[in-house]
Amino acid sequence: MKRFGIFLMVAMLILGLAGISAAETTLEKIKRTGVFTVGTRSGSPPFGYINKQNEWVGFSVDLAGLAHKNIEKKLGQSVKFELKESTPATRIPLLSSMAVDLIAGTMTDTRARRESVDFSLTFFVTGAQFMVKKGSPIRGVKDIAGKRIGAQQGSTNERELRARYPQAVLVVFPDQPAAFTAMTQGKVDAYTNDGIQLWGLKMKASNPDDWEVVGEWYTYEPYGFAMRKNDSDFRQVVNVALMEAIEGGEYFKLYDKWFGLKGEVPYPLSPEAKRFLEMQVVPK
Amino acid sequence: MLLAGFFGIPYEFRWSVLWEAPHYTWILDGLWMTLRISAISWIFAVLLGILFGALRTVPFRPLRALATAYVEFFRNVPLLVWLFFWYFGAPEVLPEPIRQWFIHHGMEFWSAVAGISVYHGARMSEVIRAGIQSIPKTQLEAGISSGLSVSQTYRLIIIPIALRLIVPPVTNESLNLLKNSSLAMTIGVAELTFATRQIETYTAKAFEAFTAGTLIYLVLCLSIAYIMNRVERKFAIPGLIARAERAEH
Repeated sequence: MKRFGIFLMVAMLILGLAGISAAETTLEKIKRTGVFTVGTRSGSPPFGYINKQNEWVGFSVDLAGLAHKNIEKKLGQSVKFELKESTPATRIPLLSSMAVDLIAGTMTDTRARRESVDFSLTFFVTGAQFMVKKGSPIRGVKDIAGKRIGAQQGSTNERELRARYPQAVLVVFPDQPAAFTAMTQGKVDAYTNDGIQLWGLKMKASNPDDWEVVGEWYTYEPYGFAMRKNDSDFRQVVNVALMEAIEGGEYFKLYDKWFGLKGEVPYPLSPEAKRFLEMQVVPK
Repeated sequence: MLLAGFFGIPYEFRWSVLWEAPHYTWILDGLWMTLRISAISWIFAVLLGILFGALRTVPFRPLRALATAYVEFFRNVPLLVWLFFWYFGAPEVLPEPIRQWFIHHGMEFWSAVAGISVYHGARMSEVIRAGIQSIPKTQLEAGISSGLSVSQTYRLIIIPIALRLIVPPVTNESLNLLKNSSLAMTIGVAELTFATRQIETYTAKAFEAFTAGTLIYLVLCLSIAYIMNRVERKFAIPGLIARAERAEH
């Protein structure tokens, strides 16, 4: 009887594993379930965050919405658009476990990450900087030796500081709100993240003038959407959606909505960045 | 690996991520941090537990009320919420020079210790109270009638017996404490769970990283359980606790 029980458990385990192995492409999965799930941030204005009206909004969310429209067009059926929270530490596991189909947040496209996931075209360009209290002596990456620097677990900034600036005292938090609160309370001397995200936090703080974003970009952070590897049909759909948006102007309208002078976080598009985006659009 | 290939699971195992530098140093540092937090918190939790557990049983109402308030207040709020309170809330009311000193002397660590000790102190006190209350009232009466004061009776008779009775539930609470130390990573403490997560974010090898964490916690908990089992047998008062008869050689 005991032997049979063990046999049952092993059989269930194998069947369970086989269940995971169903090598379905993302488009097939979306067609089957009728749901397109996107992992995005909930505390990173203006890419993905909860606004004052308690709505989940953001630049990345809007761009993912464009991909959603293209998916519906391609599959010829209406598809539900769902958002799920993802953080730097959880996003790749969420993708590989098929809990989400696309990561649309603030994920930097890097060669190392391309070993685990595929990226869409670059949809935003920024670099790592520091956020400090106004008047802080820290003005850039050269001033951080011996200082307490807050960072998010799993971010490229954390990895960069650990590798290239080990003299800084790194204090790592699981997410952005915790790290930002620690900085506002003086528990860390500076908080490092991509420049645009720091501007977003500054604008959303209760007193934006108390905080400064300082330093030259000490890393280059091109943002892309992440998806499962070896899924070229899905990647095509997402990339074409981005290309059509850049070509047709929809992208720049959205950019202006979030980063324009009247946007949530004013951050003008430099001519080089604009050219770079336009040159990603390959001919029809 | 065979299984993975056969069923088409798109995952490549790479167990070497666990012992390549610098990953194994993270695991070791994280393990050491977990042990430090757990050990220090455990000592405080047991002290708080004995104090408030005994207070809950004394024949003096205000002290009992105080102890009940402590227990109900601290054990009915999730530990995670307490950790946020002790790290983001409590230090803000400290005088500035003291607060600054703490920031540069491991505030994350001590906030975690405070949160875990006080929470588990409340839980331990319930366990200890149950132990004390399972001792017949006649023991207290006998102690007092022998000329000992109430506090002497507690100290010399009741508490030693209670301590032996409560070893199994205290073992359970101690294991919970060790496992709860993993929550400290939410306030910036680089303990074992943080380290396994770190390896996962650097290498995307979630299965290997979390298996390492699982095994290490398992070994730690089984070791503690084994030690407590030995302690229980060593200090047992013959005839006090019913146990299965073992044939003597």
